[in-house]
Amino acid sequence: MVSINAGGVFVKVEYINPFIESTFELFRTMLSASIKRGNVGLAQSDAAGPRDIVALIGLSGQAQGMVALAFPVSTALGIANRLLGTELRVMDDTVSDAIAEMVNIVAGGAKARFKIENGPPIELSLPTVVRGNSFSLDYPIKTTWIEVAFESDLGPFAMRVTMKIEAKKGN
Amino acid sequence: MRALVVDDSAVMRKVLIGALARANIVDVDQASDGVEAVAATKQQDYQLVLMDWNMPNMLGIDAVREIRAQGKTMPIVMVTTEAEKSRVIDALKAGASNYIIKPFEPATIVTKIQELLAKTGAT
Repeated sequence: MVSINAGGVFVKVEYINPFIESTFELFRTMLSASIKRGNVGLAQSDAAGPRDIVALIGLSGQAQGMVALAFPVSTALGIANRLLGTELRVMDDTVSDAIAEMVNIVAGGAKARFKIENGPPIELSLPTVVRGNSFSLDYPIKTTWIEVAFESDLGPFAMRVTMKIEAKKGN
Repeated sequence: MRALVVDDSAVMRKVLIGALARANIVDVDQASDGVEAVAATKQQDYQLVLMDWNMPNMLGIDAVREIRAQGKTMPIVMVTTEAEKSRVIDALKAGASNYIIKPFEPATIVTKIQELLAKTGAT
């Protein structure tokens, strides 16, 4: 079993790779942007790093978890402007909506990549966006959140994933 | 030609309206969920519908079923992140005409729309 050593916690790559691949595909297709993966590690509560705007979406069913994309303002604006062909300069509902759609697409692409045979499709929640810098992100103690750093020509951002896949009953 | 774009994301609706414009379809209405979409198709004859799947109030696939139950035969294209084969089959069984998976390259969606309309004779 191939795994990533994230701060001493080993996480199966098949849980994380679908999200990374989906992120690459999103940037290549809809944003025509170059992207590079940076470090992979355990996400810390209230971690430093880009998080002016965070979009979260839940997955339920045989794969259960949550994925979050965290952006500094400049990257979020760059994404919205690239997507819409606009020149927005301040955060507004349009930017939040664009970022929500990004996490929706990343999660949707990832769930189709999970190697789950014969089970019902994994369900996605509707995305949620948190904006501003006066909040803290706390992760429940029993969950392991993996953080993947990215660099793109629209700016840096981070992806955080917590995931478990249930064995199919009867197998 | 009049088209309806259904997506709970205003940004995605703008992206799709831009793609339709590149396919010379500029007469476009918008709906932000399945309920609005069904209501719109009762009031207006559309020659093309682009339909998201995951939306509040009513899922896109349920809206497709309701639109077909009205006897409407226009092409309905699912434009969604739901990429599993079983989802595609479910959508086609519900009455969707075609399926485009997000993310997509803008040029690809224009081509697909043009091909679909040419096939259905709706151009």
